[in-house]
Amino acid sequence: MGVDLGDLFPKQPCSYQDFSGRIIAIDAYNVIHQFLAIIRQRDGTPLKDASGHITSHLSGLLFRTSNLVEAGIRPVYVFDGPPHALKARTIAERRKRKEQAERDYQEALAAGDLATAKSKASQTSRLTDEILTESKELLLALGIPFVQAPSEGEAQASFMVQQGHAYAAGSQDFDCLLFGASLLIRNLTSSERRKLPGKQAYVTVLPELLRLDQGLTTNGITREQLVDIAILLGTDFNDGIKGYGPKKSLAAIKEHGSLEQMLQAHPEITLPSEEIATIRSMFLQPPVTTDYTIKWTSPDPSKVLQVLCEEHQFSQARVTPALEKFQKAEYVLKQRNLFDF
Amino acid sequence: MFVAKVKSDIIKGIIEVTSPLVNEAKFNITAKGLSLRAVDPAHVAMVDLELKNSAFEEYKASDMELGIDLDKLSGIMKLASAGDLVTLEYDEEANRLIVKIGNLVRRMGLIDTAGMPDSKVPHLDLPAKAVVKAGELHKGVRASEAVSDHLSLNIDKDSFELFAEGDTDTVNLKLPRDMLLELQSPGKFRSLFSIDYFSNMIKPVRSEDPITINLGNDNPIRVDFDIAEKNGHVTYLLAPRIESE
Repeated sequence: MGVDLGDLFPKQPCSYQDFSGRIIAIDAYNVIHQFLAIIRQRDGTPLKDASGHITSHLSGLLFRTSNLVEAGIRPVYVFDGPPHALKARTIAERRKRKEQAERDYQEALAAGDLATAKSKASQTSRLTDEILTESKELLLALGIPFVQAPSEGEAQASFMVQQGHAYAAGSQDFDCLLFGASLLIRNLTSSERRKLPGKQAYVTVLPELLRLDQGLTTNGITREQLVDIAILLGTDFNDGIKGYGPKKSLAAIKEHGSLEQMLQAHPEITLPSEEIATIRSMFLQPPVTTDYTIKWTSPDPSKVLQVLCEEHQFSQARVTPALEKFQKAEYVLKQRNLFDF
Repeated sequence: MFVAKVKSDIIKGIIEVTSPLVNEAKFNITAKGLSLRAVDPAHVAMVDLELKNSAFEEYKASDMELGIDLDKLSGIMKLASAGDLVTLEYDEEANRLIVKIGNLVRRMGLIDTAGMPDSKVPHLDLPAKAVVKAGELHKGVRASEAVSDHLSLNIDKDSFELFAEGDTDTVNLKLPRDMLLELQSPGKFRSLFSIDYFSNMIKPVRSEDPITINLGNDNPIRVDFDIAEKNGHVTYLLAPRIESE
């Protein structure tokens, strides 16, 4: 889910080419969730192989990543580690929502309402251990590096940006900005056309770039204040305060300076100070690791074909052109961008 | 307005120069001739092509931009024999390019040029210059392809050198000053390039024709040559590979 900071940050529409030659640390859980939610048939059934095994994540990783490397982007995927205890509640709620969506999906399917079925189905996807293992296996075969985060993947991706090891973080969620990534790219792994929810209409989805500095300056706040605003809005670690949207939270923190001072002026709001301290440290000093290497290797075509075509019955005619993009990209990963000069 | 009659080889030449980089290109048409600039999707190479009106048998045009799908153009041009004359005409009402080869007429839909941005030429520092016969480069590149995916180009005060190194084999082509058409270099310069890209850049030039190379240290290369009996000119820029590994 993440924190809804969309209204506070200016967004710059971009194309893949703008990031050619750049290393982008991609929030793996976020994009795989996206693949599982979006890559489905018309009635909402995920892509499956002959034995009924879900393959939406493999399809997404192969085709969307191939488009990135074709444009000269150097992706590195960052996987989540064990979630923080405070996130457990969020996770439990998500599970409940998914169970409800699952029931709605079956109902809609039985009633023959395909549009509702697809919409509900997209909310039921779960990241199983199997999906994660298979995703990593495919990345390895494709020669695309991944990093295992000690806890939040977005925190690790943001840390890699801060270290200068990656140019930007890639995620749909805004949390990377809270974690201190100077640049965040959204819609990086979306298809270019996206269906509008509940309508038979499509919009063109372009990657967009968000700059932390620019957002802070525009709003006249510090990163610490941004985190305080996020706590009012609600994060993966707390529910937020009812009635506090982005604008009201911004105004309140700007008026009072910090969350503590604001709470003094609003005794009706209960927010335990330990909880505030924990969430702040989650965003400002999250657990991260320096134990990673980012290195692209040659794709292993026979392994890729084995995983996709033999084990999961992907059509070789569709896999081969995507695989060729990875093979071509080998040059690109060692190639400089003309516009760096 | 745009109506032109031209030898098929000249159009094929444009396709050969441009299509390794892009599938579609924006042709800028003026009374003086046509030009295009294209950059490949990975931003590794840029081509600038100019064709004067004197390259055409007949040429009448006012200023306009045509967004042309090069695969389509290439498809129809394959049906033209060497020496055939091709007529190109812009149909303003239908926004199509009419390509006539003898009695064969293809009406070709055009691409909206609004989405095709104009790229700026990067700033380059290229102190060394060598003019080499294309045939020599073709040989060097073909030999290099067999051992590696990249090669280094080196120019010093006395020679031009092409070098490729694979796991077990190396290829070296050294051309001393007397085998070059021109050499100007204030010192030693060296940059590394992808053989694929470099090969595509020099392929369209006939063996006996000269290619001008401008080189720096770890900088893009600039390659210049004439086309259409010197009624046209091509400039290629290619970004270097990263050294080491």
